[in-house]
Amino acid sequence: MNRTASRRDSVGAACRAAAIAVVVGFVVLAAYLGVTASQVVDIDFLRRTPSGVAVTAGIGPALAGTLWLLLLTAVLALPIGIGTAIYLEEYAPRTRLTALIESVAANLAGIPSVIYGIVGLALFVRALGMGPTILAGGCTLAVLALPVVIVSSRTAIRRVPEGLRMAAYGLGATRWQVVRNQILPAAGPGILAGCCAAFTRTAGAAAPLLVLGTATFMSFAPQTPAHPLTSLPTQIFVWATRSQEEFAALAAGAALVLLLLLLAMNLVAALVVRGLKGAFR
Amino acid sequence: MSRPAAPADAPVLTAERLSVRFGRHIALKDVSLSIPRGRIVSIIGPSGCGKTTLLRCFSRMNELVSGARTRGKVHFAGMDLYGPDIDPVEVRRRIGMVFQKTTPFPKSVFDNIAFGPRASGFTGDLQGLVEEALTDAGLWSEVADELDTPALELSAGQKQRLCIARTLALKPDVLLLDEPTSALDPEATARIESIIRALSPRYTIVIATYNRWQAARLSDMTAFLDRGELLEYGLTETLFTNPREARTESYLTGRTQ
Repeated sequence: MNRTASRRDSVGAACRAAAIAVVVGFVVLAAYLGVTASQVVDIDFLRRTPSGVAVTAGIGPALAGTLWLLLLTAVLALPIGIGTAIYLEEYAPRTRLTALIESVAANLAGIPSVIYGIVGLALFVRALGMGPTILAGGCTLAVLALPVVIVSSRTAIRRVPEGLRMAAYGLGATRWQVVRNQILPAAGPGILAGCCAAFTRTAGAAAPLLVLGTATFMSFAPQTPAHPLTSLPTQIFVWATRSQEEFAALAAGAALVLLLLLLAMNLVAALVVRGLKGAFR
Repeated sequence: MSRPAAPADAPVLTAERLSVRFGRHIALKDVSLSIPRGRIVSIIGPSGCGKTTLLRCFSRMNELVSGARTRGKVHFAGMDLYGPDIDPVEVRRRIGMVFQKTTPFPKSVFDNIAFGPRASGFTGDLQGLVEEALTDAGLWSEVADELDTPALELSAGQKQRLCIARTLALKPDVLLLDEPTSALDPEATARIESIIRALSPRYTIVIATYNRWQAARLSDMTAFLDRGELLEYGLTETLFTNPREARTESYLTGRTQ
């Protein structure tokens, strides 16, 4: 009795230590980033273009590029991903083909993002002739996000109680009416949460974009998806690999902006999820 | 028995050599029976005997379960329900089913009742239809002033009556009730049973129940299923007082339970 109790105590202590270590690590990281970034981040930093002279450099084009990429990813990956999930869960008969699609989607979610860059380079940049543009980057990131959107949407749809489905069918609802009136409202918060995780993953991805070929220096912010590819993660990469101290501060500044952007996005999503759940009750 | 049933009544539903299997499991074997119009028919039998499966055959619900295979025929008002040009959605609108597990939609009371009519494109007086359905299900007086409350806040008995009302709003020809009182206390059960009695003979009602006394109290005719086979079917009074099969008798007397 005593022995199990003391063992439970030591397990508890270990867990507590691990939790504290995580929190301390995060605080140190955030503090370091904040202190380093504070030298450079101000409103002008968000507007200025990159420059060989660190004091006059900014993230204007990179920020605009990332916003463009997020928009393109959302427009491309959400309808296709959620549509595929709905099809697989609600429409597709359970055949070998659907089982294959399912396992492919699940496995694609685990492939390193740089591989997607190579596919994007071959397909979007070269074969489809898009060149190293924001559009090619958005398409590549959409493909990267797609498996995560599909898998998490399917999980959310699967969690909808079977009774709800059957009750709706029993009342003479068509498949689409069941999906629209029961499944989507019930699975909505879960789907949104999953999409948010997918976006966080893609918005922070530098590797696939570097493979596509990013502009390391742009003197203007991209106005359309046809403009050369640039983004915050690749800008951070470019600055972080330079030897001078002041560029490290620029990289930290850009990283801070990226983090805040993702944080804001997740916060908005969390509020929407809460709102949806409230409306659903 | 409250009302004597004449077996010669015109059948509204007829199952002909109906067999259902889920993968390898055979749930129903060669079942043939007729449901007379305007009567209450009970399907009784031990759990797993195929009561629910038989009920679900009448509204083509089994095909929503993957791996389900149905053979045989069901005739409804002169048509073959499993015929090639029959739309199962249309079948479910005319043969309404209330499931064992009460599942109100996470919407208001009103929207729950209005769901079926809206799905089928009803354009008339929805307000009146909802009131009528709730009245028929004995729930109107309790919820008349709170049609906007979430249905999930109702009591268990009220939820079950809501589910019945939801189906009645479709104005179906047949009402299928799967274990309508299995989760309710005796008082709520009595309530549901009196509602079922009141609904007959406006509706043809088929009830699957594990509770043989409920079958005896409510139904004009009773079918006894065992391991997917229809062992006996006839007037409730005859079946209960003078069962033909030994297995029916032992089930009714509880000897093998």
